[in-house]
Amino acid sequence: MPYHEFEASKCIPERKQHAVIKGPGEDLSHALPKGYLNTIPGSISERGCAYCGAKHVIGTPMKDVIHISHGPVGCTYDTWQTKRYISDNNNFQLKYTFATDVKEKHIVFGAEPLLKKNIHEAFDAFPEIKRMTIYQTCATALIGDDIDAIAQEVMEERPDVDIFVCNSPGFAGPSQSGGHHKINIAWINQKVGTVEPEITSDYVINYVGEYNIQGDQEVMLDFFNRMGIQVLSTFTGNGSYDGLRAMHRAHLNVLECARSAEYICDELRARYGIPRLDIDGFGFEPLSGSLRKIGLFFGIEDRAEAIIAEETAKWKPQLDWYKERLKGKRVCLWPGGSKLWHWAHVIEEEMGLKVVSVYTKFGHQGDMEKGISRCSEGALAIDDPNELEGLEAIEMLKPDVIFTGKRPGEVAKKAGVPYLNAHGYHNGPYKGYEGWVRFARDIYNAIYSPMHQLSNLDISKDEIPTDNGFLTRKMLSDATLPPEVVNDPILKQYDGKLDPIPDLRAKTYPVFPKKEPAPVAAE
Amino acid sequence: MEDLTKDRVEQLLNYIMKKCLWQFNSRAWDRRKQNAGILGQTAQLLCGETPVHETANDKCYWVDAVLLAREYRARFPWINELSHDEIKALIKALHERLDFLTIDGSLNEELTVQHY
Ligand code: SF4
Repeated sequence: MPYHEFEASKCIPERKQHAVIKGPGEDLSHALPKGYLNTIPGSISERGCAYCGAKHVIGTPMKDVIHISHGPVGCTYDTWQTKRYISDNNNFQLKYTFATDVKEKHIVFGAEPLLKKNIHEAFDAFPEIKRMTIYQTCATALIGDDIDAIAQEVMEERPDVDIFVCNSPGFAGPSQSGGHHKINIAWINQKVGTVEPEITSDYVINYVGEYNIQGDQEVMLDFFNRMGIQVLSTFTGNGSYDGLRAMHRAHLNVLECARSAEYICDELRARYGIPRLDIDGFGFEPLSGSLRKIGLFFGIEDRAEAIIAEETAKWKPQLDWYKERLKGKRVCLWPGGSKLWHWAHVIEEEMGLKVVSVYTKFGHQGDMEKGISRCSEGALAIDDPNELEGLEAIEMLKPDVIFTGKRPGEVAKKAGVPYLNAHGYHNGPYKGYEGWVRFARDIYNAIYSPMHQLSNLDISKDEIPTDNGFLTRKMLSDATLPPEVVNDPILKQYDGKLDPIPDLRAKTYPVFPKKEPAPVAAE
Repeated sequence: MEDLTKDRVEQLLNYIMKKCLWQFNSRAWDRRKQNAGILGQTAQLLCGETPVHETANDKCYWVDAVLLAREYRARFPWINELSHDEIKALIKALHERLDFLTIDGSLNEELTVQHY
């Protein structure tokens, strides 16, 4: 696997170590991009800071909590409109954003009194909320504000509240990934084991590394409920603060995004003997395998099989409708961390797409090992790319669509390539069987949007056709398909609802009586 | 290693590298335990034995081993024709190759970090 040097980065020679092309007959022992290193000066990359990783990725999806940033208001930028981790309590954690609004005078004279005032104000404003997380930022860390001491004082003054302090200022790591690590460890050190849950099932899990993007967690919860599994906590999407204090009582940790949450699973394994089972919730085959594994662990595989059969029969013909129309389309799979390996192989196998490049903004070398193993030969793998490298790769690889974040996504659009939001999604959820069809539908809509016929013309030089009539996606996608595919009576387009989540929330589930006191897992 | 065995090991290895995640835990010591735990039980299952799992972690390895053994039988029908000794030798060679790719020959510089 030869390392790849971008023209744009010739003046930053260290960058050559961060990109490789997967060559024929080569394996991971030949080359691996560097990862999780400080961004090289001169390279303007697209990463977030360690505070952002702790708060905006992991902390804030907790739903019944006031989340306060202790710092300048600008640190709270990534809240309302850039995040889509919904919750079943009317999205409290998304609707209300709290910051102490530290100014120059506080930097000079200290911001602890300001923090205390803010904490009281927030609890007074939302008397039904009794839980809080507080996040350190660069400015308040540098002036030495003791957030722990203030939190302790408030907890003494208000005995009915509980506060978690996350000491992960922006500079506490090379990227948001440093913050993921810090908040994982802080949570298990400070909070796990401080609440004893009621155990209602013989089968008890924590669902870890799942952030309920547009309802992903609720889709998976539906499967677990149908299997009679008690989900003690979700770390952290749609998760409750007190549920997460009780993680030590689960029999199994089901880990989805290992990049952001393996640390707490590893610690729960070491401290409480709870095993870690890594799963893939995306794609029919990986999801089916995951449900089977959880079923096997508890001796209830038949319940998993029933779900797999029902969901596959319902949704497979719809997935295949899109697969016929997406075959061979070239994709740059450019997410933040774990989706490069969650998606790399399965979008090729189940949607017919061709992954021409994978990248990660904050992944570690382990994520690249997984991603490169899963993508096909010829793919270009890039760690922490800068914008010019991204543009150069687009020019070189000529993708039909790019899956990435909204900021690099806008750059892709300017280069004339449609993008799908790999973090917040376009019209998710994307997990589950129906979700996977929704993802295929969004990809189809992006690639075949008739808008590109016009938007990719350059009015300063291209001739603008005036005789083109009305076009639809289907007219474009079906033009070259054989008639037996176009007229296949089994295949059909997605026919689910605009938002499938309200129906899930209204569902009731069969009761599986508890057999006996559940065994406590032991190493 | 003769060509046929080598080719078969690569087929089995390729399945793990594409479809599984357990071989990629983030530290070398953990990968070694995972690889040994899961492949050991996979060999037993393919030979018709019933692995004993005493701890919850063993049981978790067993879950991955069951899925792997099933997939191997379905995707590589030739495995059903092998004797138990041949299966054990094949999985041993696979184990060595997997340990090399994910641990001993890995270029991942975080494998030896002391903490998680
Ligand atoms: S780097 Fe520091 S100042 Fe900037 S957003 Fe992160 S915590 Fe705030």
